[in-house]
Amino acid sequence: MPTTFLPDFCGLRVVFAVVVIGEMLALMLSLAPAVGGDRWSDLGLVSLYVQWVALTGIGVLCFARRHLARLDDVPAATAAYLLLLGVILGVSLIALVLADLLGLDVLLPMGWRDGFVWRSLAIGAIAAAVSLRYFYVRHQWQRQVLAESRAHLEALQARIRPHFLFNSLNTAASLTRSRPEVAERTIEDLAELFRASLADPSSGVPLEVELELARSYLNIEQLRLGERLRIDWQVDEVEEECAMPALIVQPLLENAVYHGIEPRAEGGTIHVRGTRENDHYVLVMENPLPTQETTRSGGNRMALENIGARLEAFFGGDGLLETLRVEDRFRATLRLPMRGRA
Amino acid sequence: MRVLVVDDEPLARERLRRQLRDLPDLEVAGEAGNGAEALAAAERLRPDVVLLDIRMPGMDGLEAARHLALLETPPAVIFTTAYGEHALEAFDHHAVDYLLKPIRSERLAAALANCARVNRAQLSALSEIEGGTARSHLCARRHGDLVMVPIDEVIFFQADQKYVRVVYAQGELLLEESLKALHDEFGERFVRIHRNALIARQALRALVHEGGCLKVELEGSDERPEVSRRHAAALRALLRGGG
Repeated sequence: MPTTFLPDFCGLRVVFAVVVIGEMLALMLSLAPAVGGDRWSDLGLVSLYVQWVALTGIGVLCFARRHLARLDDVPAATAAYLLLLGVILGVSLIALVLADLLGLDVLLPMGWRDGFVWRSLAIGAIAAAVSLRYFYVRHQWQRQVLAESRAHLEALQARIRPHFLFNSLNTAASLTRSRPEVAERTIEDLAELFRASLADPSSGVPLEVELELARSYLNIEQLRLGERLRIDWQVDEVEEECAMPALIVQPLLENAVYHGIEPRAEGGTIHVRGTRENDHYVLVMENPLPTQETTRSGGNRMALENIGARLEAFFGGDGLLETLRVEDRFRATLRLPMRGRA
Repeated sequence: MRVLVVDDEPLARERLRRQLRDLPDLEVAGEAGNGAEALAAAERLRPDVVLLDIRMPGMDGLEAARHLALLETPPAVIFTTAYGEHALEAFDHHAVDYLLKPIRSERLAAALANCARVNRAQLSALSEIEGGTARSHLCARRHGDLVMVPIDEVIFFQADQKYVRVVYAQGELLLEESLKALHDEFGERFVRIHRNALIARQALRALVHEGGCLKVELEGSDERPEVSRRHAAALRALLRGGG
């Protein structure tokens, strides 16, 4: 994000915007009460003159931009404004001289010449002020939109349940004496999960990394819950590049453990299937639900909405996450668009 | 001092066991993986203290503690939890002992050194704060034994002076609770039919006139509790609605 509010005057989009603004100005001027003559030829002549000024102005600003960009908003605006006034003065003088010396009446009709330079300056001063103001407001607006979407993304950032953290630490503490090498691996898995949850939410990760993370998570849960958690992991290898937002699969599995396995005294199996289907990688996660009505309060729906929103923000489409509850089973299906090899 | 270790995670139990072994004058009486197992073990092993995890499948720690308090010689209870957010303030407020996992041995020793019985008032106050979740079982003593009835097997409650009679598929039980408190706790599952009676919605079969009174026929019981005029309209609506 550029810090200066001045847009890239060398860019095509800004040139186009300036041409459009100039043309609107020309239209306004030729619609005003006329001295006489044909309005269409008036519009043509005024347009010619206005665009001459506008394009010269933008050219000067394009050259000066590097220097202007180093200034604060107020000095930069003042400098740009003075430069534009200079351009108007210069162009109007040249036009006058060309018309007088070379008799180019086409360029400047006789009726226009009285006080031409001053009138040009006054109109130009207003038009330049309005244009600069327009670019300033637009910049502020863009910055706000960006800040808002970033805040939104950060709010959506996957959070790992504190309960899981402390229980996992307890598991690791328990293992340090009986099985130190397993304890070591558990702490490594935990570290990986937390690193991912603290990463910049707007950057994506390769699908393989995300799947490894999900596996690390399940390893920890497996230790914690013992034989109550059974995992059926049948995930095809990812052969092509596929980027996705981080921590999408892990929270879905966490939901499966938290709402499906933990409340069941007898435990259950979580099925994870990953297959390539045309230009999508499809990951299906399925878990049993508790038989009793001891559904755990809170947050399942919100967590799912959050995951859906993050997928949407990343891929820009919807229907990427589908959840389905069939009797006593819950299934989440994730469809990730694959991009060709980069 | 004999300690019962209750936690649904095997490794958490293993760690507590080892920590207890290193402390003097302590003996691990046994362990259990959920609330119902804990109650059975407590009745059988009669421990002095129960280290009770709060979040467990089936019957959770808070409910197990409420039932434990009904034992002839109730054990002292120390709750353990990984993370409780606001709930822990409630524990402090009601002076109920708890330990945060992973538990430090020093903290464990200190808690065991001055552990106390948790009384029923403290426990019911806590379960109200903990999200107000209803119990999964009712529990009472009959001929000295602890009897547990899953709440979904209860057919109706009938207030009888200072007790509430609980009629369920395999028999009946007397509870020392008020009908109002039961209605508040299980209001979704039961409907009031009379000042002194609540019936399970799913047991409702038909309304019958008998000896000038309106009575209700129930699935699973031959008894026909009386319906008061005030509640008759609501019951008819429930029957029409297929409920």
